[in-house]
Amino acid sequence: MTDTEPKPAVTLPQIFALFARIGLTSFGGGLSAWIYREVVDRRHWLSEDEFLAGLTLAQILPGPNVINISIYIGQRLRGTLGSVIAALALLLPPMVVAVALLILFRNFSHLEWLHDFLEGIAAGAIGLTISVGYRAARHAAKTNRWAPAVLALVFIAIGVLRWPLIPVVLCLAPLAVLVARKKV
Amino acid sequence: MQDDDLPWQLVLVFTPLSLLSLGGGQSVIADINKQVVDLHGWISQADFVDLFAISRAAPGPGSLLSTLIGWRVDGWTGALVASLAYFVPSSLIAFAVSRIWNRYRGRPWQGALEQGLAPLATGLILSGAFTVLLSSSGALSVWSIVAASAAVFILRPKLNPLPVLLAAGLVEVAVSALS
Repeated sequence: MTDTEPKPAVTLPQIFALFARIGLTSFGGGLSAWIYREVVDRRHWLSEDEFLAGLTLAQILPGPNVINISIYIGQRLRGTLGSVIAALALLLPPMVVAVALLILFRNFSHLEWLHDFLEGIAAGAIGLTISVGYRAARHAAKTNRWAPAVLALVFIAIGVLRWPLIPVVLCLAPLAVLVARKKV
Repeated sequence: MQDDDLPWQLVLVFTPLSLLSLGGGQSVIADINKQVVDLHGWISQADFVDLFAISRAAPGPGSLLSTLIGWRVDGWTGALVASLAYFVPSSLIAFAVSRIWNRYRGRPWQGALEQGLAPLATGLILSGAFTVLLSSSGALSVWSIVAASAAVFILRPKLNPLPVLLAAGLVEVAVSALS
């Protein structure tokens, strides 16, 4: 790493405390924006450029984006141990909460309104996902003129025709990268 | 199927999906759904929709769906095995790439990869949303909530999702009570 500029020393407990708090207080998505605010704006642990490069990586790599960006941040701050701590702190507490909610839910699963309530929440979360997809699509279309075509192909193959994910991704990924290299 | 095999079966389902979840956990929801409900018959479709809703209502990453499915299939062992199988493979890749990335920052292939895979990942995200929508009750109220919620979040991207999701739940309860 060529960056020799002195940075505030971040300890492993600090990394753990921050990511555990983000994991436990965020609901229904949007964690990346929250992490950005805490790590870049409020604590100055990373520069904006460092964070955005990491976010780009987190999005193209497999795996949940928010876990990938946590690993990237932890790695930048404190190497291997930092990335392990960040990912575990983000995952473990909400995992326990989620299973506890599920156990509670089983005891009350005969309640009809609870199913309606959860179905409503799921519908709201689908709307949230669509809005994220919409923004990502708008962004992709600005830099890559084949973006709408690739998006439509993937949606028809996986969403409508319900073809298996693995072969579709393996066939389309090289094609998508190839057409994106052509000048807009 | 013998119970001894269950943890191993969970690994076989979740590890490949971990490595192929381009664009985040959303993109493989359709395939998780197909495998645990249609192929293995571990849980019913109604169960799956409930687990999906809980994973969204709980704090933390939505990808905790894998933990919940594991728990439902094989208790705490299943929760642990499914979580590890789903989170560790992609995390190892993220870790390795994080280390290497800065050495090569600014090279043209980085831009090409990023721009090429972005629409593919977006298509996967939208397919996941569409699949879960199709597996819901399909009531008019559900479609309306999806549309309203999408509109709200497109117009106000920074909005805290929790109150909107809770409101969505309450609306569905009210609509069912009235009809």
